[in-house]
Amino acid sequence: MSSVIWYLYEFARKSFFEGVTDAKSKHDIVEKPDRFRDFPEVLKEYCIACGACTQSCPSPHAIKLVRDGDNDDGEGQTYPVINTRACIRCGFCAEVCPTEPKTLLCGENHLIREEFNIIPSKRQYTVDDFLCIKCKKCIKSCPVDGAIIERDNKIAVDQSKCISCGNCLEACPVKGAMKGVFIDNLEDQKAIIRLVVNTLEEFIESKEDELQSLPSEKLLKLQLPLSKIWDKALQILPDEEVALEVIENATDRLKIRIITWDESKCEKCRLCVDECPTGAITYSPDENKVERDSDKCLRCSNCYQTCPFSVVKYFIAKFLLDEVDGEKVILITLKESQLANR
Amino acid sequence: MILPIGPIHPGLKEPLRLKLHTQGEKVLKAEIDYGYVHRGIEKIMEGKTWQKCIYLAERVCGICSYEHTQTFAETIEKISDVRAPVRAQLLRVITNELDRIQSHFLANSTYFKAIEHETLFMYVLSLREHAMDAIELLTGNRVNMGWNVVGGVRMDAKNIHLDAILEKISLIEKDLDRYTEIFSEGPLVGLRSKDVGKMTREEALKGRAVGPIGRASGLKHDLREQHHTYRDYLDFDPIWRKEGDNYARTMNRFDEVAQSIDLIRQAIDVLPDGDIRTKVDIGSGYAEWRNEAPRGEVAYMIETNGNLIKHISIRTPSIMNIDSCAKFMLKDVATVSDAVATYASADPCIACAERVAIIDVDKGETSKDIYNLK
Repeated sequence: MSSVIWYLYEFARKSFFEGVTDAKSKHDIVEKPDRFRDFPEVLKEYCIACGACTQSCPSPHAIKLVRDGDNDDGEGQTYPVINTRACIRCGFCAEVCPTEPKTLLCGENHLIREEFNIIPSKRQYTVDDFLCIKCKKCIKSCPVDGAIIERDNKIAVDQSKCISCGNCLEACPVKGAMKGVFIDNLEDQKAIIRLVVNTLEEFIESKEDELQSLPSEKLLKLQLPLSKIWDKALQILPDEEVALEVIENATDRLKIRIITWDESKCEKCRLCVDECPTGAITYSPDENKVERDSDKCLRCSNCYQTCPFSVVKYFIAKFLLDEVDGEKVILITLKESQLANR
Repeated sequence: MILPIGPIHPGLKEPLRLKLHTQGEKVLKAEIDYGYVHRGIEKIMEGKTWQKCIYLAERVCGICSYEHTQTFAETIEKISDVRAPVRAQLLRVITNELDRIQSHFLANSTYFKAIEHETLFMYVLSLREHAMDAIELLTGNRVNMGWNVVGGVRMDAKNIHLDAILEKISLIEKDLDRYTEIFSEGPLVGLRSKDVGKMTREEALKGRAVGPIGRASGLKHDLREQHHTYRDYLDFDPIWRKEGDNYARTMNRFDEVAQSIDLIRQAIDVLPDGDIRTKVDIGSGYAEWRNEAPRGEVAYMIETNGNLIKHISIRTPSIMNIDSCAKFMLKDVATVSDAVATYASADPCIACAERVAIIDVDKGETSKDIYNLK
């Protein structure tokens, strides 16, 4: 009987009615530990749009750089946006963020000293229209909206929006179609290219005897160690990465034409003298001799096509920078022109 | 009659199909089908830097995630021919043992659920919370900690963290003996577990069983013995039993928890001051490294070119344990419910096991049965 009274008393209490009328669930106050890594917090105003966070993120589509619209005052602000559905809360973006103070805060990760840092690059990215196959892989790989655009059936990079992350260069399936050009020291880069071309020409001309004895349809393969150019190139531009890439790009696209002259076969018919557009080939009646001034020669191959006695031989040289036995060398392949079979 | 259990079933933690060949209530033998949670993590890792891969390696296993990052980091350290500072090595030991404690508690509580002892299930799970709290205090997160890097650990442990860990493990130790006694001395619980799902030493060797499952069957094999940190700084002797039944497996795990608590105390005692991380120039090449995860041996085989991961292959312990469970433990079991309990006692982790397949190139066949190799 007494239990029933206590039971009724429980209902009669004021707190019971308060509980029924003001029924609200209270929030638990849960304290986060100091080092808890939540989703990264973005502080827009410090962002320099370097793309280090998008580069470092291990989860696809978790972080993306967006850019507010431009107005009269200036450029719009670029800043990262976290997609919380894809983010795995690793905090790596906060660790690599190079700004001071950090744009991204995540647990204690933004306090960690940086070991792996992606800094803005010195390159400018451009598309070679001649080689581009319009596969649009660069557009898909680009982390910034509208940095690579398709206009008039051409792919182009909008330099004002590009953050120089280099994703497009990795995505491009055609070698040379997307170029990452170093924009500093352009004159020095030209000097290096000139040095490379001159050294290669001298090297090939020193092997003229081998070229003369080369049977047609055979290739002549030569090697020039890079160390012969390397020291001089570093004197011009003391940046190993840039110098190596300039040499590599130069040798990739380079073709050198070589013309050799076999005096013993010449019958002094003088057909080539009239054909030569620069007057490099002359005939001296006193000595009864046809002479060629190689400094004036344009290597147009007119004399080669005219000569009925195959005095002239015409070669095309191609190059490749490669590593042989742990040493970088320029591989040279020389081939007689196919015009001989006319 | 063939009784299928799973792939989605309340008795199983993770998706897997268990086919029990029964005669009446008696289970004669069992087959296991995999293939429901294959995620292709190894393929995703190819062509990425280690900084990204270490976060992905953490997600291979959902429970013992820590050991994967440590093994990954130590493999790359072996390629680069460096070793983490001593303080970092010992911090790794502390986190590793805390992870082992929570994993063993989870495995045991799942076993208690399988034998319908819900009291112990809740008791042990609530005890596990202390271990999880300690991990959270030290590393910041409970499961995917992001704590290891190549060349050391990410954050330093301060004195307040170490004190908190000592306090937490003393809380665990206070109740551990009592709960172990409830299991080992309780007449019904013991009866339910002794001589059920028995695997002899020869069968364990044949099935390549590793970890507590192998050690409960008499294989005295623990990779922590060979690890340089344990060998140089800590006093360690593996725990093993002879019986090879469900009781031995569960008790082996309880005993290893007590040993882990001892190892954490030793590690905090000898913890020196100094750096927690060295800068590593990643070398190029190939290396293998093996470590003792809570479930057994984890092996990483990595080939790098100095920057990117060219090829990676991960071997996790669960695949051997689950297969030896199907072949040797689930054989002449008295009832179906005992079969489910035996399966739970093998501590299966399906998510990390989904990576083995034997391909016969000549016939063009693929099979997942590693025991019928010719």
